[in-house]
Amino acid sequence: MIEFGRILMVEDDPKDVELTLTALADYNLANEVVVTRDGEEALDYLYCRGRFTTRTSNNPAVLLLDLKLPKVDGLEVLQQMKSDEKLRMIPVVVLTSSHEERDMVASYKLGVNAYVVKPVDFHEFVNAIKELGIFWAVINEPPPGSVRKKELN
Amino acid sequence: MTKAEMPSPRVTPMVSLVLRHGLAVVSVAIALWLALLAQSEDINRLQFPPLQLAVAVTAWYAGGGPGALALVLASLAFNYFFIPPLYSPAIKLSDPLFVVFVFFGLMIASFGSRRRRIEQELREARDKLEVEVAERSQQASLLDLTHDTIFVRDMREVITYWNRGAQELYGWGPEEAIGKDAQQLFQTAFPIPIDDIRGELLRTGRWEGELDKTKADGTRVAVASRWSLRRDEHERPVAILETNNDITDRKRAERDIRTLNEDLEKRTNELQVSNQELEAFAYSVSHDLRAPLRHMVGYTELLQKNAPPSLDEKNRRYMTMILESAKRMGNLIDDLLAFSRIGRAETRKTIVSLEQLVKEAVHEVQPEADGRNIAWTIGTLPELYGDRSMLKIALVNLISNAAKFTRMRPQAEIEIGSADGKDNETVVFIRDNGVGFDMKYARKLFGVFQRLHQTEAFEGTGIGLATVQRIIHRHGGRVWAEGLVGTGATFYFSVPQSRKAKS
Repeated sequence: MIEFGRILMVEDDPKDVELTLTALADYNLANEVVVTRDGEEALDYLYCRGRFTTRTSNNPAVLLLDLKLPKVDGLEVLQQMKSDEKLRMIPVVVLTSSHEERDMVASYKLGVNAYVVKPVDFHEFVNAIKELGIFWAVINEPPPGSVRKKELN
Repeated sequence: MTKAEMPSPRVTPMVSLVLRHGLAVVSVAIALWLALLAQSEDINRLQFPPLQLAVAVTAWYAGGGPGALALVLASLAFNYFFIPPLYSPAIKLSDPLFVVFVFFGLMIASFGSRRRRIEQELREARDKLEVEVAERSQQASLLDLTHDTIFVRDMREVITYWNRGAQELYGWGPEEAIGKDAQQLFQTAFPIPIDDIRGELLRTGRWEGELDKTKADGTRVAVASRWSLRRDEHERPVAILETNNDITDRKRAERDIRTLNEDLEKRTNELQVSNQELEAFAYSVSHDLRAPLRHMVGYTELLQKNAPPSLDEKNRRYMTMILESAKRMGNLIDDLLAFSRIGRAETRKTIVSLEQLVKEAVHEVQPEADGRNIAWTIGTLPELYGDRSMLKIALVNLISNAAKFTRMRPQAEIEIGSADGKDNETVVFIRDNGVGFDMKYARKLFGVFQRLHQTEAFEGTGIGLATVQRIIHRHGGRVWAEGLVGTGATFYFSVPQSRKAKS
């Protein structure tokens, strides 16, 4: 397991994880992804606790967040992050299967930076993931204290 | 014949005054004639009584004024004719006989007139009393006429009056009720202590409320009761008048309504719960059914990508079939979710420009018909009263169908128009020259998953028209269709006009 990376992914479905990583592999971004499998683990990572006590304290450049998660769901993770002075600057992209308008409204109300519905069509899905990865991990200038590309090199 | 009905000749006060004074003159004249007659017959001492009698008669029958006139006339006559020196007009006050005459006359006139006055007063009092009695008995019989229950009791609760309405409601006749203690008779159940009621009655003069009482047959009756306090001229409370209205039926109806309302509320809650369950179900379908589909597609595409070039055409086709099926499944889920959302969502009705809506819908459908030759005919369209986004979904579905089923026509024709229907509704139609349908299947068109064509010929989930029907039904309108195989189809829907939307 990679201890730090530019992309923190919170996704409980292993197939979605695999397909996302495959999509990102084309741009050599796959090894920059840290995967957590539920909301609690994601918060553990962000707060450097549990099995992440020893990780470097830099924040990820972007968080890809599923909404339907075991234990602590995506909206709760989002709410905790946005109410924490140290974590609120981390860009959060909700990546979900849900078309439900109330999820979208709730996410934007909590201050999400982007809301993406996972396309059923694989090409679209791959394209969406790639564009997200490139934009947030490469093009976008992350807030201070984030993991940067040159540090990895 | 009663007195009131007897025709009584009315004499005006003026005529009566003249008649009464005439009586004075006439009676004195007759008395004088008698006195002179007696004198001429040499009967002495008979001059005095007739004149006094004339004064008495006048005062008796005509009152004080005429009595005084008679006295003056009689005195003058007596003085002139009978007091020496005879036939001298001078008043002979020194003659004791004259003084006695005047004194006597005064006494008689004053007694007579006083008696008459008393008699007159008595007569007036009697007449007044008679009128009052007539009025009272008329009022009492009026109270008896009403169907309302009215009875009176004194301050010791003893019933003193009992009308016919009371007899009808409670079953006791007046002879049974009058004289009884009211509360013992009725076994009244008071909602508040009776002392409070009496307190209010004495303070304000009235009280009203609902009481439970017992009838003669033992059944209980709920009445709306009004009490009014009657006081005598010294402001002492003397009686309580009570009116009752039977409200047993009303109470029962109120109870029934309450029960019905409770039932309704319970059912509404149940509906709400099941609606919430449905929503949770739809949410879960939207989220959980889509994920495995995405995976199927994802892995199949990875397989396609990674497959060696040597893979034969047949196996490549299998992979394509998997992908097509997965996509179709995805469309089905989307359409079903949209369909269920329309059933659950609240309609937000406003005045909607149908013309604008059709324009937007055609624009949305345009990409499906890209590169095709379609002649659009769009008539003048009115304003509708309805939910804009729902109506648009319905129009997009219908127009998209028209575009789909005219696909094989080199020159497709689609007409959209409207007409006033019956009963204040607007009818909108979408006509095409496409494949049409057999009218014997017309009823099946709007059912969920009902399709009249094979999937290879025309793609679709069979939910579109069901969605249209649901939207129009939620607007209180109707949907129907006419078609002929190979010629085309016309789909109609109607929406009730609101008064505001009429142009």
